[in-house]
Amino acid sequence: MPPTLIILTMPLLYAMLLGLGLFLMKPIKIFGREFDLVGRRQSKVAQGAMLVFIGPLIAKLAVSSGQSIGVIFQVGPALLLQELGNLGTVFFALPIALLLGFKRETIGMTSSICREPNLGVVIDKYGFDSPEARGVLAIFVIGTMIGTIYISFLASVLISLDILHPYAFAMASGIGSASMNAAAISPLVYMFPAMKTDLMAFAGSSNLISFCFGVYECIFLSLPLTEFLYGRLEPILGRSSGEENESDLNEGEM
Amino acid sequence: MAFENSNDNPAAISKTKIFRWSVFLLIFSVIVVIGNHIAGYDAGYPIYEPLIGMLILCAMTLAGMILERMIPHNISSIIYISIIGLVLSLPGMPTSEFIVYYVSQIDLTVICTVFLAYVGIAVGKDWDKFKKIGWKGVVITMFVITGTYVCSAVIADIVLIATGMI
Repeated sequence: MPPTLIILTMPLLYAMLLGLGLFLMKPIKIFGREFDLVGRRQSKVAQGAMLVFIGPLIAKLAVSSGQSIGVIFQVGPALLLQELGNLGTVFFALPIALLLGFKRETIGMTSSICREPNLGVVIDKYGFDSPEARGVLAIFVIGTMIGTIYISFLASVLISLDILHPYAFAMASGIGSASMNAAAISPLVYMFPAMKTDLMAFAGSSNLISFCFGVYECIFLSLPLTEFLYGRLEPILGRSSGEENESDLNEGEM
Repeated sequence: MAFENSNDNPAAISKTKIFRWSVFLLIFSVIVVIGNHIAGYDAGYPIYEPLIGMLILCAMTLAGMILERMIPHNISSIIYISIIGLVLSLPGMPTSEFIVYYVSQIDLTVICTVFLAYVGIAVGKDWDKFKKIGWKGVVITMFVITGTYVCSAVIADIVLIATGMI
């Protein structure tokens, strides 16, 4: 049977778009007075609430992990080694960023998935006003906006191609962002209800591993690798903008 | 949230904070349980049982968030919550059977859906910043996420096959 491409539109996509839509909606006029259903203030509260609400999601995955600890030990090697897949950001995104004309920003943009711990690492190493920090901050903002939706979409598309085992995708969903972790595992749980507990167990433990080692991987592996590839690829792929971009090369010590 | 800890009366601060988190979590639990019921994931169980499950998850969350602020190292609450949830539901733990019974009645996708509604509203604030960075940023972000996700999945698949697991 040839693999068929299924795009799963899950309620979670609608929920996020509705939330965003409510915020962007113009205030309604009732009896001559303007009411902003969801405004800046509500958005601020929602942001605080969001940081709390990620807890039950993580706890749910953790309970599955504890429940299936035996299986997790069996697949331990795969769970640990897939963590190195985080270096994939560099190989996939660095050439694209260079082709799009970015310079040193590329280092911040493509060395990691640019979540909070990575922001800390990059800003610490290059300084807050550096192009590297600008890069990591830009992808951080966009990742917050589209990351959850995009990875849930990506997961449902890739799994429907039927090339890799659902277990592999469950393990891959721990990429260092708790919300993206949950968004990536949801379509899998939905499509393979029989494997539910194992899938959630792998996702939860992979997320925990990412949170424990992700920062060290970023400092010792992915940043040096990004620097190396940038040095090699920039002269080939980078657009010659005429400006001297080596001058702001700011290799501060950590 | 972390830097508010520098206040000279941390105990009082954390009390009002814990209260606020608890209210947030209670609202969240109720919405999730209703969604869970509508989606039919609790079929065959009385409606209060998934609510107990949600309250267990919320208690773990609260414990994790309090530990993050009590323990002087800068460790994310995500790690504490993961470890608490994992350890308490290990087979053989006295808490395990109870937790697994109630928590398994709530579906992950429902929690995720409610969570994302809040994310949608929260990210609205950054809409202008988002537009300013523009499409190039969007393209790069997609490649960044695809890169880590696909590479991790390929490595996991290879190792799973190599170790004879699948």
